[in-house]
Amino acid sequence: MNYPVWLLDVFGGGTLIALIAVVHVYVAHFAVGGGLFLVFTEMKGLREESPAILEYTRKHARFFLLLTMVFGGLTGVAIWFTIALLSPAGTSSLIHTFVFAWAIEWVFFLGEIVALLLYYYKFNKISSKNHLILGWIYFACAWLSLFVINGVIDYMLTPGEWLNNQNFWSGFFNPTFWPALFFRTFLALMIAGLFGFLTSVNIKDDVMRHKMVRYCGLWLMIPLVLLLASAVWYKAALPLPQQEMIFTKSPEMKPFLSGFIFISPLLFAGGLLMAAFRPQAVTRSVAVVLFLLGFLYMGCFEFMREGGRRPYIIHDYMYSTSILKADLEDVQKKGVLQSSRWVKNRIITPENRMDAGAELNMILCLPCHSTGGPLNDMIPIARRFTPEGMEAFLLGIGNANPYMPPFAGTSAEATVLAEYLTTVLVPGFTSVEPEIQPLFVVPAPFSAESSEYVLLAGATLGTILYSEPEESGIDLSYGAPVIRAQLIFRDESPSVILDGAVVRYSIKTGDGDVKGEMEAKDGYFEATLGEIPRPVQPYQPFFIAEISAEVDGTIVAATQAKIGVSTEIGCRNCHGGSWRQDGRSGMSRATASGILALHDKWSNTNLSDDFNKGKTVVCSSCHADYSRATEGQPGLLSLSTAIHGYHAGFISSDNSCVLCHSSSDTGASHSFDGIHKQLELLCSDCHGTLPDHAASLLKQEKDKGQAQKLLSLVQNKVQMDIVEINPRASWIMEPDCLTCHVDFQPPETDTAFNSWTEDEAGLFHNRVGEGGAVLCSSCHGQPHSLYPADNRYGKRIGALQPMQYQDNPYPIAANEGCAVCHTTEMADEMHHPGSLATFRNQE
Amino acid sequence: MDAVQLIPTPDILQVPWGWFQGLLTVTFFLHLLVMNILLGCSLITFFRHVAGKNTDVNKAIAKKLPITVAFAVNFGVAPLLFVQVIYGHFMYASSVLMAIYWLSIFVILIFSYYSTYIYSMNFDKIVDFHTILTGFIAGTLLAVTFIFTTNFSLMTNIAAWPEYFNNPEGTLLNLSDPSFYPRFLHSVFGAVAVGGMAIALFYDFKKRKGENGADDGIAIGMNWFAGATMLNFGIGSWYWGSLPEYVRELGGAGSAFFLIFIFLGIVAAIFSLIYGMRHEVRPAVYYLLAALFCMVLVREFARRLTLAPWFKTSDLEVVAQYSPLIVFLVVFAGGLGVIYYMIRLVLTDKGARS
Repeated sequence: MNYPVWLLDVFGGGTLIALIAVVHVYVAHFAVGGGLFLVFTEMKGLREESPAILEYTRKHARFFLLLTMVFGGLTGVAIWFTIALLSPAGTSSLIHTFVFAWAIEWVFFLGEIVALLLYYYKFNKISSKNHLILGWIYFACAWLSLFVINGVIDYMLTPGEWLNNQNFWSGFFNPTFWPALFFRTFLALMIAGLFGFLTSVNIKDDVMRHKMVRYCGLWLMIPLVLLLASAVWYKAALPLPQQEMIFTKSPEMKPFLSGFIFISPLLFAGGLLMAAFRPQAVTRSVAVVLFLLGFLYMGCFEFMREGGRRPYIIHDYMYSTSILKADLEDVQKKGVLQSSRWVKNRIITPENRMDAGAELNMILCLPCHSTGGPLNDMIPIARRFTPEGMEAFLLGIGNANPYMPPFAGTSAEATVLAEYLTTVLVPGFTSVEPEIQPLFVVPAPFSAESSEYVLLAGATLGTILYSEPEESGIDLSYGAPVIRAQLIFRDESPSVILDGAVVRYSIKTGDGDVKGEMEAKDGYFEATLGEIPRPVQPYQPFFIAEISAEVDGTIVAATQAKIGVSTEIGCRNCHGGSWRQDGRSGMSRATASGILALHDKWSNTNLSDDFNKGKTVVCSSCHADYSRATEGQPGLLSLSTAIHGYHAGFISSDNSCVLCHSSSDTGASHSFDGIHKQLELLCSDCHGTLPDHAASLLKQEKDKGQAQKLLSLVQNKVQMDIVEINPRASWIMEPDCLTCHVDFQPPETDTAFNSWTEDEAGLFHNRVGEGGAVLCSSCHGQPHSLYPADNRYGKRIGALQPMQYQDNPYPIAANEGCAVCHTTEMADEMHHPGSLATFRNQE
Repeated sequence: MDAVQLIPTPDILQVPWGWFQGLLTVTFFLHLLVMNILLGCSLITFFRHVAGKNTDVNKAIAKKLPITVAFAVNFGVAPLLFVQVIYGHFMYASSVLMAIYWLSIFVILIFSYYSTYIYSMNFDKIVDFHTILTGFIAGTLLAVTFIFTTNFSLMTNIAAWPEYFNNPEGTLLNLSDPSFYPRFLHSVFGAVAVGGMAIALFYDFKKRKGENGADDGIAIGMNWFAGATMLNFGIGSWYWGSLPEYVRELGGAGSAFFLIFIFLGIVAAIFSLIYGMRHEVRPAVYYLLAALFCMVLVREFARRLTLAPWFKTSDLEVVAQYSPLIVFLVVFAGGLGVIYYMIRLVLTDKGARS
């Protein structure tokens, strides 16, 4: 905000500081532990009256001098230079808080230099007593400089009371100061042993070499045990957020944790190996391996310590983006571009959108992400997203992925940054709205004068989402379509015919013709397709089913019904991959792979393995799914709850439903095409926003799986007070039409959220009118496609039966059209109040 | 783009700015001294090797170079720390603008430092490589000088900052600043002068101990000192002339001090030169130290005057916390005591392992 940002790509993402700092710290710990090593070894030489040991000490001191003074000292300065370049604001804050700590450290640094120079250059030239005094003074200065820098580093992770009182001593002697000091001291002694191996394996005399190698082994192994004990203390001293960040909430930390745990016994074993084996070839190789392992060990620890601090540079005080936590709200209101000094594009215009996006990327993303580099590379991440997906992801960031800071900009800045990241930084994403070829269907014949029967039919659900598991490798689909039909004998007092009639269906699908006979149930005919048929190509998000009814062998009625099956599942908005067909539909293997990779990362599964071996991963095999009639695995949330519950934590957008469901206005399915859509109702008006929707599902299963954790992630995002959200079982407890249409009247409200049907009997597709015989859906159409449905594929595609029977697209018998079934006008609103009223939303 | 709006907001101080200014001045003076000896002697020994002059002067320099690097770096840490406290908001910005050069310093210095050890520890063995090696040492140190000069001139050259928007990759320099080249050259020639004086002083000690041939060493040192100093009067004038007019004219805050210390510094340098040419080493050294100290003050005032239109150190907010400063001063005194003790220990030791 305050400072310019250094534009790095491959070397971004903290690569520079990681390299320089881990290298320095390895040598610097040697500079501390090695000081004690020199003194002890010299004392050993004096005690055993061994000139050979003293000579080894002198040579080791020379190695020590050349390494720590030059390389160690200068890389330490390099850290200072690097942090000021990568985070000037953070460095300025540290310098101004701890200037005198660093000034004190400088005094110890000066003492170290003088002591070490005198120690080496006066080796064998002054009395042993005085020489040892010099050595001890060196070690004291070295350890004290560790003492000081330890305070500052631990403050960054656990500032403690400093956050409240800004007191230097509160910040310096912070919650992890003491355990870290012990930890680093033991680490320094271990490292002294590791570096000691490097020199001792080169002693020519066999006996002396073995003796000194074993001696160095003690330096490695004994402090290692103490180190592990202090590691336990260190972990316990961490406040909960930092602890969670390292150990549970940040999947990226796992390799470093594993590394540290795995290398510990390796180092110990290495020490034993060195003690046991005499041949120089063996010990030389093992010494080098141990030296490298030590470096990796150090690296794992430092990565964990740094990672635990995310998303802050100074925990709970300053984010890694240099924005102060206290300022975040103001910046979000004012905008990042307005709040920063080193910005050229303060106001977003149509001409400078991508330049503004580039500047937002520099300020908000580059402090932690590299572009094409080894650490935190943005490119594979950005590549997964479409602009819409990225925008929703950015607005919701920092919640389910707490190692990220909350988005600091305005929503306009989120849009621009999302577009920049997904179209410029990772060029190649082009959004092409598919051209939709209209479909013409000639309705089946019907004569108001002569036809004896009316056949009303349709699927129970407006659209089934189908993930084409054979092609994509993932089965995320709903249950197969269920088609229902009611055959009505036309008469002044009509009857719903079940006995003696045979109702058949024939559907042209992408798999060819699917035919069958429907079964007579309690009040209607029903057929459940064996499996979900593939869509017709070129892509159509529905089939036109030809339904026919036979009585006594003669076809007495026929009609067409739109059976919605869409493969436009929007996972690719965030999970990568492209549409499999024509840039408009079909889940690809790449997308499935992306989904499973994240599932493995966040839920500790191994689904990618199965997927890569060619198996199809069936989500409902683990997560119970009512629509697929699966029980799932015990202890796991049902599929709808898991999927909504999880995503609610990650994304934030006004209309997030269209990111996944096939109702995007720029997509190829337009599955939400009924009267409510035309009246500009949103999904959330009935179903709630994603967080609210998720909360209602999670509360129903609140004792299962990760429900509590997921509830905690949505509780700040829900629009309604979470306490007031009523639990609902997926698929069964749905919004109730009568919540808005009280007593079937024109709506009193436009929000149906939070009032659920009690059970399946209350679902729209299972209900009948007050007359008791006719299904609501027979006259009104399918959920989400209620008559008059105006579909992009054809103005009347969504109203085939109304057009067939009454030559208008409105609900059957609308505008006093009772004659469709009753053959004559009727005076009584028998089916439901208002059924004789004029349809309010005429075209 | 109005460069002034780019100036970052400074952070809060724990004690009034005068403390930091004082510490900065004193520690920078020490750094300047040692760093000048390092750069100056490196250049002198290189040119001597080039000219085929390889005597004990070269060897004496070789032996002392590594330890000089150690102290130059260590004494550099303190003023860099204090300058960041009161001028950090300028310095961090300029550092980012030239990030790649700035960060390369430690790499260059590592090579340079190890080279001094090679030169020192193998002086007699690598006779054929003296010229190349010292050329490398001198060259790398000049590169570091160049980079430091760039940063400290860029940090006050606000007008150059908007160039960032054409190049945010950290490769900007400050060559368009008219004061850059004279500043760089003034530093280099000053270093040679101090280096020469250091050689003279070294041989003056030998002379007082009665060693032979010390007069030659003094003469060599003083020749370099005098030559470099005389040239530096000219370069200094050039430098003076290249400063912005509003800095040079009387009237700004501190401008009187600026001019007074320039005057005193020049006078002290003249006296040093006179004593130097007469080979009266001690007075020459004292006057040189005085001249250097005046020049350190001149530098501080020049910076103040240059930044005065936009920033004064008295603007810095203070939220007082004196205890860390007090602890530092105590530790500093203690540290000096320990160092004194160690040196005494060695000097009074009866010698050899017992």
